[in-house]
Amino acid sequence: MKFECGDLDRALGMPELMPEAREHLKQCAVCRREYRVWTEISTAAKELHEEWESPELWPRIQRAIEAEPKPKPVWWKEWKMWAIAAVALIAISVAVWRPWQKAGTPASLAGNPVVLNAGNRDFLTEQALREVERTENAYRQSIDKLSQLAEPKLQGSASAVAVNYREKLEMLDSAIAETRANLDQNRFNVRLQTELANLYREKQDTLKELLTRDQKN
Amino acid sequence: MQACKRGNRHAYERLYELHAGRLKSIAFHLVGSRADAEDAVQETFLKVYRAMDGFEGQSSLSTWMCRILINCCYDVLRKQQKLAEQPVRGDVASESKLPLKVALERALGRLNERQRIVFLLFEVEGLRHSEIAAVLQVPEGTSRNWLFEAKRELKRSLMEKGA
Repeated sequence: MKFECGDLDRALGMPELMPEAREHLKQCAVCRREYRVWTEISTAAKELHEEWESPELWPRIQRAIEAEPKPKPVWWKEWKMWAIAAVALIAISVAVWRPWQKAGTPASLAGNPVVLNAGNRDFLTEQALREVERTENAYRQSIDKLSQLAEPKLQGSASAVAVNYREKLEMLDSAIAETRANLDQNRFNVRLQTELANLYREKQDTLKELLTRDQKN
Repeated sequence: MQACKRGNRHAYERLYELHAGRLKSIAFHLVGSRADAEDAVQETFLKVYRAMDGFEGQSSLSTWMCRILINCCYDVLRKQQKLAEQPVRGDVASESKLPLKVALERALGRLNERQRIVFLLFEVEGLRHSEIAAVLQVPEGTSRNWLFEAKRELKRSLMEKGA
């Protein structure tokens, strides 16, 4: 096939045609000019990148972001997922265990006073509740100590990190208060006790993280 | 990215430092003025902030931001009812530029949207075809083809103007 001027466009998009195109370029000034423009486009394009100073742009964006409602943090979503999974697991365990208990438990044990209410699947026994409350108290004491240590760092700093920690701790305190208020209505509820334990654990971890971070820095 | 997800403002500032330059340049070529480009970049960062929690990282952060920016640029153009006309480049001091650069800038305005965006992203901003394909959500081959069409149109346009 003889390479003609009209083939140049096609050849520019097909590298396998370029050897023939180059032979043609040696003899054709018009196509040489076209080819030169083609290659110069890419060189000139690099200069089209625009750079300019915008000292007001980031402060503007920052103000706009601050005016936005805060997105829920990831740990909150994960915690909710784990809570749902825990509740589902408890519900399945009780559903499986209860028919077995009815069939297998001797009549003398069925009326065991430790079981508060056999009809209510989510309820803890008195003994289990005491253990849960002991754990809760231990958590609270540990958290109180950590809070005292973290307090000067949290209140004395206006850094974004300190603000983030303050916000997270406030959110946790509010969730703890809400769960405790619900538990006051129903102290034997397993789901609420689990939620409360998780919230305390989260608060403890957050305070530890804050203190460790501070030591590292 | 994790720090951004936690709502850390410093992480967003870092994100701005890393990406704002390129985003401003892309926006400038799409909307035609620095002020409008800055508006588009601001809106992009707000949308990134709102959607960061749902960003799973299937594409890179810069690709994702670039996609958001292009949509924001269209919003800016729509708001100002500029879609029907070509961008006015009032901020450009044409006199100080090389003739080919000025001619190229004018010729770019005559390309269709897809050709102009691919040309800007590849030739001006240095994105790879794989990245452009992710930004525009088209196959890589399509990105290559649009770039070829864009360059062919630009060549034709520049030849007519006697470059």
